[in-house]
This record gives sequence, C-alpha cells and structure tokens, in this order.
Amino acid sequence: MASPKTVPKDAQVMMQILKDMGITEYDPRVINQMLEFTYRYVTTIIEDAKIYSTHAKKSNVDADDIRLAIQCRVDQSFTSPPPRDFLLDIARQKNQTPLPLIKPYTGPRLPPDRYCLSAPNYRLKSLQKKVSSSAGRITVPRLSVGAVSSRPSTPTLGIPSVQTVGTKVGTPVSLTGQRFTVQIPSSQAASVKSATPTTPTVQNVLINPSLIGSKNILITTNMVSQNSSSDSTALKRKHEDEDDYDAL
Amino acid sequence: MAAVQDGPKELDAEKETKPEILSDGTSNLLGNTASGTLSSSPLTAAPAGGATKMEDQQTLIAVLQFLKRNKLSESVEILRREAGLGEHQEDSQATDGSGGGKGDGDGGDANSLLSRVSITSAAAPQSMPVKKDQPDVSVVLSAYSQQGDPSLYQVYYSGLKNFIESVLDCHRAELSQLFYPLFVHMYLELVYNNHETKAKAFFDKFSGDQECYYQDDLRILCSLTKKEHLKGNEVLLDFRTSRFVLRISRDSYQLLKRHLQERHNNQIWNIIQEHLYIDIFDGMPRSKSQIDSMSGSLAGEARREVNKAKVFYGLLKEPEIEVPLDDEDDEAENEEGKPKKKKTKKDSLGSKSKKQDPNAPQQNRIPLPELKDSDKLDKIMYMKESTKRIRLGPENLPSICFYTFLNAFQGLTAVDFTDDSSLLAGGFADSTVRVWSVTPKKLRKVKSTAELNVIDKESDDVLERIMDEKTASESKILHGHSGPVYGVSFSPDRNYLLSSSEDGTVRLWSLQTFTCLVGYKGHNYPVWDTQFSPFGYYFVSGGHDRVARLWAMDHYQPLRIFAGHLADVTCTRFHPNSNYVATGSTDRTVRLWDVLNGNCVRILTGHKGPIHSLAFSPNGKFLASGSTDGRVLLWDIGHGLMIGELKGHTDTIYALKFSRDGEILASGSMDNTVRLWDSMKAFDEVETDDFTATTGHIHLPDNSQELLLGMYHSKSTPVTHLHFTRRNLLLAAGTYNSQ
Repeated sequence: MASPKTVPKDAQVMMQILKDMGITEYDPRVINQMLEFTYRYVTTIIEDAKIYSTHAKKSNVDADDIRLAIQCRVDQSFTSPPPRDFLLDIARQKNQTPLPLIKPYTGPRLPPDRYCLSAPNYRLKSLQKKVSSSAGRITVPRLSVGAVSSRPSTPTLGIPSVQTVGTKVGTPVSLTGQRFTVQIPSSQAASVKSATPTTPTVQNVLINPSLIGSKNILITTNMVSQNSSSDSTALKRKHEDEDDYDAL
Repeated sequence: MAAVQDGPKELDAEKETKPEILSDGTSNLLGNTASGTLSSSPLTAAPAGGATKMEDQQTLIAVLQFLKRNKLSESVEILRREAGLGEHQEDSQATDGSGGGKGDGDGGDANSLLSRVSITSAAAPQSMPVKKDQPDVSVVLSAYSQQGDPSLYQVYYSGLKNFIESVLDCHRAELSQLFYPLFVHMYLELVYNNHETKAKAFFDKFSGDQECYYQDDLRILCSLTKKEHLKGNEVLLDFRTSRFVLRISRDSYQLLKRHLQERHNNQIWNIIQEHLYIDIFDGMPRSKSQIDSMSGSLAGEARREVNKAKVFYGLLKEPEIEVPLDDEDDEAENEEGKPKKKKTKKDSLGSKSKKQDPNAPQQNRIPLPELKDSDKLDKIMYMKESTKRIRLGPENLPSICFYTFLNAFQGLTAVDFTDDSSLLAGGFADSTVRVWSVTPKKLRKVKSTAELNVIDKESDDVLERIMDEKTASESKILHGHSGPVYGVSFSPDRNYLLSSSEDGTVRLWSLQTFTCLVGYKGHNYPVWDTQFSPFGYYFVSGGHDRVARLWAMDHYQPLRIFAGHLADVTCTRFHPNSNYVATGSTDRTVRLWDVLNGNCVRILTGHKGPIHSLAFSPNGKFLASGSTDGRVLLWDIGHGLMIGELKGHTDTIYALKFSRDGEILASGSMDNTVRLWDSMKAFDEVETDDFTATTGHIHLPDNSQELLLGMYHSKSTPVTHLHFTRRNLLLAAGTYNSQ
C-alpha cells in the first residue's frame, strides 16, 4: 500500500473509514473504487437536489432538498429486500397450496416453453427473391424427432439450411410427449452459390408462432433468396410461404 | 391504532397520515401523564394545521386513560359524558397505551417532549413515501419513541450493571445475557430520537463490556448514528421487531424482576417487556460456558417450543432392484461365500427391515419422481461401487485428492462434484460456469439435428452415436449469467446442472447439450446457494432476500417459501430423505424447514458468525454446520440440541462433508487446511436424558483434540469444496492463492 504521506487526503479518509468498519484486508484498488463510487453518488445527489430546489424556486440548495434527493435515489438504486412480515405473509400463502403431483414419464421436466430459454431467439429478414425458379424452392418439410430444442446455431454464410439444433434425446423408454422439431432444409446449395457471388446469401427463417406451444411443434422454413429486400415483398413472401408448405 | 381513525373520519383524506403521528403522540402523552405535562401544545407542532378538533379529542382520550389508571371512576364517567366520547375509542387507546410504555417514566421535561413530538411529526412526511413499499416501517420504528430522559440512559444501564455484578455467581452468568440486547435497544432508541451525541457517549462507555462474539454487530451499530441510517437497514429492523429470546432460570428471573420493580425508573423493565422474550425454565441456572455455547445469534437463543415439533429424520426405504450379476463382478462375493452363479439376486440393501422406521417419513409424504430405467441402472452401479467401499475409521483415514484451480484469480466461487465423481463444475466470479470431466472420458454434447437425421436409429449403440465426437473436450464453458455464480449443483442423474448467481436467477443447464434451459426468477437479489434434491426434480435456493425457496424443475415459480431468517440465507441443504431443508444464515442460526408445509421445525443457535457450510450425516440423524468463527457444531436433529463442538480451524469453514457411512467428518477452511474428525465417536457420546431435553442444558465435552484425526495443509489453497467418492476417497477443490 502507498505510504500515508503520498496518499491524497480523500484516500486517507477512505482508508480510515474502511478501518472503522472493521475491514482490514483489501486490495489497494478498492480505495479507488470506493472513491469513485462516492464521487458519483454525491454528485448525483447534489445535482438532483439542485433540480428540486430550483423547482421549489429557492435560491439555495438546503438540507430538505438533499434529503428528498437521497430518498428518491434510495428507492431507485439501493432497493432493499422486502420487510420480514411481508415475506412471512407471502410465505404463508405460498406454503398453503399442497405440493403438486409429479406426472410420470414425461421426459425432460421443464416449465412451459414460454418460461424456458429454448426457443430460437432471432428471426432474419427475408430478402427479395429473384424470379428465377432455381432459387428459393421450398421443399416438403421433414419431421425429425428431437426433444426440447435449444438455441439454434447461427447460420453461416454459404450454407443454406438453418437448423434448429436437435438436442437431448429423451429416455429410450418412450417418445410420447416430447417436442418435435421440423426442419425444412433447402437443397439447392450449389445453384445459389454460383448465382450470386457478390451479394451475401441470406437465409430466411420463418417461424410460425401460432404452432408453437399449442401442439409442441416448432416449424421453421428455410428459404434462400438473393437480393436485398423491400418490406412489401418480404411480407408477400411470407404469405406465399405460408400457402406453400403443408401443415403437419 | 385503528380506532384513532374513528375520530377524524369527517376530516379530509390527507389526514390519513395523521393517525400515524397522533398515535405516536398519544403514546407519548400517555407515557407522560404521570409527570403531568399534559399540554396540547406539543400537538400544535404537527405539520398539517387545522386539526385542532382531533387533537382535542386525543387529549381527552389521554386524560381519560390517566383517570382510569388512577381508578378515579366517577371522574371517568363524568368526563366521558361531558365529552361525548364512546367506549370503544378508549379501549383501543388502552391497548395502545400499554404498548407505549407504562406511565412511570422519569423523564419528560418539556424540551424532550417537544423534541420527541417534532420528531414524530417530522416522521410523517418521511413515512409517507416509505409507506408504499415498506408498509410498517414507521409503525415499527414509532415504538421507539418512548419516554426516558436520554441522559439518564447511562445511569439506568450502570445501575443494572452494578446490580448484576452484585448477585450470586450462579445467577450472574444468566443475568449477564441481558446486557447485549438492552444495550442495543437503548442505543437504537437514542439514535431514533436523534440524541446523537448522547448515543455516541452511551456507546463508547458500554460497548467494551459486551461479549466478544458480538463485536461485529457492534461495529455495524457504531456506524449508525442517525435515524435515517436505520431506515434502509433491513437486518436491524428485523432485529427490532423480533423479540430477542433469553433463557433464564426461574430463580434468576425472580431476582431480576424484584430488583427492577423496586426502583422507579422502569425504563429497563419497559424495554424488557417490549423487546425481549424471556423463556423461563425451572431448574439449575446455567453456567457461563453453557450459555456462551448456545448464544451468539442475532435474535438470541431459540424458544423451547420452537424445537419441539416432530421431525422425521429417518431415511426413505430403498426401492428393490434386481441386480444382475455378471462376469466382471469378480470382487463382489456372495454372502455365503459360495462361488457365484449366473442368476439375478435381489438387492439386499433395501429389504432388510420390512417394517417402517418410526422416524422415517412416509414414502408418499412428498411427491417424488419415479425411478426411470436409467435411474435404476445408476442405482445398480452405486451398489456395486459401495461393495468396494473402504471402511474408514480412526485407524483407516481416507486419502485426499486435491483439485487445484490455477489461474482463476480468486474468481472461483462455487464447486460441485457429481455423486459418482465423474464431473466437476466450477462457478466463477466472471459469471461463467465451467464443467470438467474428472475421468479420462471426454465431455460430449448431442449432435445437431442434421446429423441426428442421418444416424441409424435402430442400432444398439444409438446412445453413443447421438453424441458428437468432433467437439468432445475435457471442459465446457457455460455462459448465461450476468453476475458471479455463487452456487452450483449437479442433478443426481447427471443430466442437469443448476447454478445460482448474483443476478438473482437460478439457471438450469442441460449437460447433454451444454446450453441453458431455464432461468428461474424469484429472488431479486443475489442467490447465495442452491442444491438439487437427492432424488432430483426439486431444488432449493437461498439468497440475500432472507428466504429460501423450494422449486420444482417444471414450475417457473417456487413451490415453497421458507421465510423466517433475519439475515441472508447463505447455505441450503436437503436432508437425505428430501423431506426437510436446512438453511444456514448470516443471522448465525441454522433452521430446519419441512418441505411439506413450509414450517420451520428447528432453530439451532450457537454459532458466533455467519454460517457458510452445512452437512447432513448419511443416516439423517445429525447435522454439522461450519461458520466464520472456525467452529464446526454438531446437532442432533431429533431433539434439536447441540451435541458437539469441533474447534481447531482458524478461519471460515466453507466445506463440510461426511464420509459415505458417516464415520468421518471432513472440514475444509480458508486457513488452507482439511481436517478429519471422528464423527462416530462424537455421536456416540450423546447424552439424551430427559433433563437435557426439557431444559436444553448441554454439557459439551471439550474433546476437539481427541476427535481430530488428521490435519492436512495445502500450500496456500483455501478449500472450497469437499466430496467423498463412492469408495470413500476424499476429493477437495480450491483455488491457488498466490499471496
């Protein structure tokens, strides 16, 4: 630690405070962190207090303004856990309901999809499709059995199919009740690549949200298109796609 | 306090804060009726003017109380008739009055009265915005506005001190328990009533007399010098609302009562009545050492009734599984020692006792997941391994294998091993969780769907084919948390991993895909520990919000909330039968909770520092707890008593584990040592005569040195976690600390 003579006064005060609070072992950087925090906190409070005092048309900032500023900040940044009687109350309510029975043979036991982190977390904008029929054909969707799907792997350039990663296979005993991921790969890789060397190939992933959750089926369609899109065509594309593929 | 609102009903709505003020003011008035300073002038200091009608009414009610107390019933009648007051108003005021303190206070010169009332009126604007999220803070704190001249507090306290020092030795130890709670409450009263200098003087004079194990609390108190400091401090608020429990024998209590009632300054008596709970027992007074071993918690000791509920500490019966014998099993011998025959034999472990253990819970007391085929295979492996287990004992100590985490820069905050010791997980301060494979077998995740489509689903080794060889590695990193990871726990079937973090969530990770499946949000504050139930499906988590929560994997909200601790819950452990959860907390108590209904069935006090590690013995009867004071305490769960104390460590104990058959207890601490204790011997010496059970007297033999079987130093690696393998090899984990 730096010798007390060369340490600035603020830091000396902070060291004394830490000593008073009984903290004897700490990294030297802690002093700097505490000083930064102090500076930021105090300036925030004083600025808030200035605003309040000008609002109240006072000429000076006085103790009431500071008190009000502190109070408002406390409710915002330094929330403290709920008081004990509140906790006892909600605990009593929660503990009255009996423990729910466990359904047998349901595979991985997870909360409803909405509360899981297993849905794909992105959607790509569709691009304008050229008239040529070689690109952007949609093939018949194929069923692949898999359990809960996790985050899909990110699409890489040049590979036309976006896959949802099939994840853990359920227990070998039974497959009932599991979720299915349907994947519709497009198979015209070569033609796409040769057709547009300059523009990046962008995959179009459409997720039909209405089918998720109700039937436990996650359906993704893949489409390869080439040019940059305009919104109206993108929408039109969506409609066409929805007409095209067969619901399962 | 509710009846006060009958009066001002006709006034406008802004006066709803007034009942708060006036109830404070009323209790002040009631307290001072004896001294006769019954003036309505203090009330005119109230901020919202124009409520004189209500103030007069309050004054009248107060006068009525005074007359009633002095048994001037005729005057009561006359006054009531003339003032037109109803019966009910006074009665409820009476109840408030008794809460506000007896009217014999010495103090109350006009100055302090005025200052007190102006404080309470100043409390009003502050209490309003606070009221929304902390509904009863002002009510809670208002009871500190008692009478009593601040300068006389020192006199009262010294008077009590002199008295206690003059009593017989046998009573002195017990009555000395009073010092600490009285000191804290008196200090807090002075602070609340804004007598800052007097509070400081009081603190300086008497803080040195307190027990050494309260020093940490006193240091925190020392920094609280203003009323505003009190407001945000949840722990102190809880301390103030919950009554500090003292266990005193009847004789000592009589002495104390007689002394305090002789004197006229009943300030101390008031505090005792309001803030302390004295659990009186008949019998011999306890000695200082006995008291010292049980005290130390934030709320005093535990009342005897609290620890009386029946606890089913027995183990659940093992299910019967057919164990197929095969050729590899050469070491396992038949019980008769005959050469093995190739036929299945029934599992003998579970069916030993056909009748129900009276101390074990019913199989269906709480719903438990059924055994799947993979679980049955696991159990078979477990039984095979347990036949090869080494029996440990004082002559046969386990070998210790230490896994040192290098280059973690003090960032390792949590470690867990799977039960079969094949995987190791570490939670780090940089919010990652890393999983290592302890065995030479690498970690593999499931292939992607495209690849899964092409494999042959009918082949026998489909379970190997679905695993991706290309990305197999020794360790995998799991990203997802946004704060340091303070707790990790593997599921018993090795498919899932839980991690709890400072960001307030508990995350469930799949160990087949090494991705995050669910984030359980409930605690909004750092979650210090989490653990899977021994049967899977349930898990418990405890955090800064002072509660522990029981979750099930398929519910996004907790099933049970275990509320009752006064400070953060730092350690949560399931009982081997999964029906009970033990929680250790910063308020220095260990509580045992029933999973079925969420009740607290045991409160175990005695530690002098926050508790950081807990371990149940494999037979379910005993619990070991370790804390920052370097002691390991052993508890008998059935009776709720302390049965052993293991001294020796010099720093916080973060790891405690019993060996597989419960003969040895291993403890690891920040002082870079692992110590092995003879738990078999410690539990054999349990005295459970009736006297012990009813009065809670414990006679702890000071045999820590005898029980210590071995002490092993690491160079400079504090021990974060301990784990006994199925064959009783001890694994330890920690980060190398280069300083």
